[in-house]
Amino acid sequence: MSLTTYSWLVLAFPLAGSIILGLGHKVLKGKTAGAIGTSAILLSFLSGLGALRSLQSRPEESRQVVSSLWTYAHTGGLDVQFSILVDPLSLLMVLVVAGVSTLIHLYSVAYMASDEGYVRFFAYLNFFVFSMLMLVLAGNLILLAVGWGLVGAASYLLISFWYRRNTATKAGIKAFVINVVGDVGIVLGAIVIIQGTGAVDLLTVFAKAPQVWHTNDPQIVVGCLLLMVGAFAKSAQVPFHTWLPDAMEGPTPVSALIHAATMVTAGVYLIARMHPIFQIATTASDVGAIGGAVTLLVAATIGLVVTDLKRVIAYSTMSQIGYMIMAVSAGVYGAGLFHLMTHAFFKALLFMAAGSVIGAMAGEQNLDRMGGFRKVMPITYGCFIVGGLALSGIPPFSGFFSKDDILLGLGAQGGWYWALYVAGYVGALMTAIYTFRMIFRAFHGEPCEEAKSLADGRLFHAAEHRNPGDGTLEDTGVGYPGAKHHIAERSPSMSISMGVLAILATIGGVIQLPKVTNTLDHFLDPTFSDSPKFGIGIDYNLMAIGMVIGAVFGLLGIYIAWVIWVKKPGTSARIQARFALPYKLFSNKWYFDEIIAFLIVRPFAAAGRFFQRTVERVVVDGAITAGPVSIARASSAAVRSWQSGMLRAYAAAVIVGAALVVLYLMLQA
Amino acid sequence: MIAAIKAPFIDWSALAPYTSLTVGAVLVLIAGLVGSARLRSWLVPGLALVTLTGTAVELLSRWNHPKVIISEALRVDNLTVILGLLCVAAAAFAVVLSLRSDTEDSVGRGEYHSLLLFSTIGMLILIAANDLVTIFAGLELLSIPLYVLCATELRREHSLEAGLKYLIVGSVGSATLLYGLALIYGATGSTSLPKIGVAIADTGALTDPLLLAGTALAIAGLSFKASAAPFHQWTPDVYEGAPTPVTTFMATATKAAALGILLRILVGPLLPAVDDWAPVIAAVATLSIIVGNFGALGQDSLKRMLAWSSVAQVGYLLAGLVVATSLGIGALVFYLVVYAVMTLAAFAVVIENERASDDGERLSGFAGLGRRRPWLAGAMTVSMLSLAGLPPTGGFIGKLAIINADASGGWMWLAIVLVLGSLVSLGYYLRVIATMWMTEGSAAKTPVVKQAREIVAVALLAAAVTIAAGVLPSWPLERAQDVGHTVISSR
Repeated sequence: MSLTTYSWLVLAFPLAGSIILGLGHKVLKGKTAGAIGTSAILLSFLSGLGALRSLQSRPEESRQVVSSLWTYAHTGGLDVQFSILVDPLSLLMVLVVAGVSTLIHLYSVAYMASDEGYVRFFAYLNFFVFSMLMLVLAGNLILLAVGWGLVGAASYLLISFWYRRNTATKAGIKAFVINVVGDVGIVLGAIVIIQGTGAVDLLTVFAKAPQVWHTNDPQIVVGCLLLMVGAFAKSAQVPFHTWLPDAMEGPTPVSALIHAATMVTAGVYLIARMHPIFQIATTASDVGAIGGAVTLLVAATIGLVVTDLKRVIAYSTMSQIGYMIMAVSAGVYGAGLFHLMTHAFFKALLFMAAGSVIGAMAGEQNLDRMGGFRKVMPITYGCFIVGGLALSGIPPFSGFFSKDDILLGLGAQGGWYWALYVAGYVGALMTAIYTFRMIFRAFHGEPCEEAKSLADGRLFHAAEHRNPGDGTLEDTGVGYPGAKHHIAERSPSMSISMGVLAILATIGGVIQLPKVTNTLDHFLDPTFSDSPKFGIGIDYNLMAIGMVIGAVFGLLGIYIAWVIWVKKPGTSARIQARFALPYKLFSNKWYFDEIIAFLIVRPFAAAGRFFQRTVERVVVDGAITAGPVSIARASSAAVRSWQSGMLRAYAAAVIVGAALVVLYLMLQA
Repeated sequence: MIAAIKAPFIDWSALAPYTSLTVGAVLVLIAGLVGSARLRSWLVPGLALVTLTGTAVELLSRWNHPKVIISEALRVDNLTVILGLLCVAAAAFAVVLSLRSDTEDSVGRGEYHSLLLFSTIGMLILIAANDLVTIFAGLELLSIPLYVLCATELRREHSLEAGLKYLIVGSVGSATLLYGLALIYGATGSTSLPKIGVAIADTGALTDPLLLAGTALAIAGLSFKASAAPFHQWTPDVYEGAPTPVTTFMATATKAAALGILLRILVGPLLPAVDDWAPVIAAVATLSIIVGNFGALGQDSLKRMLAWSSVAQVGYLLAGLVVATSLGIGALVFYLVVYAVMTLAAFAVVIENERASDDGERLSGFAGLGRRRPWLAGAMTVSMLSLAGLPPTGGFIGKLAIINADASGGWMWLAIVLVLGSLVSLGYYLRVIATMWMTEGSAAKTPVVKQAREIVAVALLAAAVTIAAGVLPSWPLERAQDVGHTVISSR
């Protein structure tokens, strides 16, 4: 089969899967839906491997292939094909997305087994994978925007999956609204680019961009900043990040797949994909790099104090994506995508392991209530340790190489990039601290009630089912955990997928060992060879220093966490009392929710109320002839007269409107 | 001596859509007198459908055969064909949707259907009008039957009130338009659009205050019919009060007719003065987008919500008109058709849900619809997504085409307003979807009435077309672009 056939199959399988599951949701019984969903994604992944083989057999110059299925619209300057762009970058994303998705589907087969919405879950999940693959394969700006929007919709469906849970629907809406703001950014940015170059096709746009715009042309800077809004909203970067922690209301496999490994990295992909344009708009790129650096620090500080297990990992995700955004904005593409890949492995692993713990806790996610799971859940503990070491950047785990690769690329450019370099290492120290804080609190110390019951061989069940978010009582029909839920220790399909990810998180770094393999950089060359920053020599002294600092900071962080939470318990309370102000700031998440509510939500709500009252019932008339009090007193006759009064107001409005139009035209002439 | 009266030449084949519709309307009225109620109940709608089908066929045969007929009173060209088909189809669907309504014991089937057909004739005349007098005649023929149709649910106070309201405020709108047309005639000395065009082209831009005032009043009067802000106040009340099939007809066909003639005047004789009127239309569009979208937020009545949303949609359509290039007109025509189809789907679902439960028109009546009747809820979902402009629906492509036209015509800010307006609109469209799929209706809401298959079929058909227009938009977009070219080149 040809490269393009393989690539279309990559898209076709998840789509077919979601359609089959969607139509057959009443018929499919037992685990059939899980099997169908998982195999659809597996087939998609295998097609991706086929495409990879076929692509690598081509000469390096012709490794960017566009294939069009049909003409979407071809009229008046708008030539949109239903086309995909297959090149090393998009294929790397396909493999990461489809590969990790396969494992997470496999995990969900057991994890969601006791859920009433089993089939629905896999239908949504398949639909999400289709949307995400469409996003990364899109060959033009329109399809890119379409994929971007579909991914947001799928994310909304999955966050609100337990729709009878109030907090979940609210979180879904929040995520959707912020993502729509991002979508608007993408659409407007695309319009600017289409207007400038007169093309929608990505490769044509890239070819024309340098002729149309000079460096830092205001038009393209605005366009790129708009795209950046989209990237920041989807990748949960400050100040568009507030939806991600709340998105943890979704089932844990969703957090692993969408809110760690795949969807949230779409912003990183976008900037890498559009790099020829971002390199013209250097101001926009700088904004992106600084935004990434700010996010990685802000998120890490919040991660230090959050007590919800999944939210610690969520803030960590934000922080790690901050590294990637910083990297690709600063032109360090290979390293950024390398980190994207390793992060997908170890972060998905951490979420899966967290799901196992939450299962053992019967839905409880509060770290304050956990403890002592080390002995009773050895597999989960092992996975947490592997994921934690990779996340903290301890050699030889994968995260060590990818993080240092990013910081090396920044340091090598000198200038003000040194500030980013320093921020990266400060963030690395905090990362190690909060990661092992989480591990020590959940797995070490006194075993909690749930751990004890597991030691006796029973899986804990809560007497009554409460929402872990706000503590309200829920009917057991709402999602997880049902009567017979699973934890990784007891379910092969869960431990297999975690095992595979643990191996990848450990050895994933080998494909890009500095000076030794560099496989990933070479693989991505055809996409990024046009970058002016391509081929900046590696400063080996800096590299050696960086690696030492990285390893030392990682180990130091783990030591600090060990002292605070294991050796001298109670230290953390003293630190909190000593640094009350920063603690308050961090634990209130830097007050971003409140600031957004004050600046945006409230004015909008006020505008809405104003329109409701004023526009709906022309206020001039309503206020004069029938104030609120008289309406309340009015008999039916009075109501009728009020309504006919309305009629006068309507007619008056027509006349006034017409008069305004006349006046304007008169003044104009 | 007998004065020789020279009869005007009449091209009967080009006039055929009009004659057949008129004859059909009269026949339907007569068929309404048939004694047997059972016979009447299928004969009248059947006859109406046959008439409309015949008209549609005759209209289709005029595609690419532009002709000016009856002493230059009517111009039957591609724009007439495409918008005429839209109005005829809207009327046909209104007939189907009212098959089970209880018009029989209130106003009588014959009257109801023949009024519908007469209104359609008015639309066809208005769309094809090539003369100021024809414009006014068409507009009144369109409006007067509609005033009556709004009030046909005699037993419901709201319906009567809606009819009366529409009549009174509508008269103000008509008067405004008539005044405007009179002033234009006064300024240019002719009622024929091409001759007015020549007069304007001679003097250059719009400098004559008489002509300016006339243009302004004409725009205001037609914006009223299209329910663009600030001439929209009647819309929510009338849409809510009128019988829902009539509302459907008004929301789709009337808008198409009003925008069609606005297009014909502005991009016809007034094209040289585009710099004068474009800012006005842009302002009306912006106002409509803002007012419509914010007005729709928080509405609990679906019909009211759709009325506000239709104000916003007219804003989007006018944004296509502002550009006054073949690109903009093509986008306008395409979006107009898509708008009609997706609105039809939404109203069909509302009608069916209204029959099933007492609060079927309220948002609360839609709770749990996804579980009770997934197909119906599916059609509604498609419609809402399309109205909101989300892919992969026709609404997405339509908005994209308008945005593209605006951006390339130098109206970037209007494109941005459009995008931001759509952003706000998600607030109420998605609320409907969430209510249908994510809340549970009470058990008492199980349908007591038998399902109306034809209404569900209309909803599903419209939803399918909406999706098709989003996935394979190439062919319709090209046809719309053809219309844009002919309008620009024929002037």
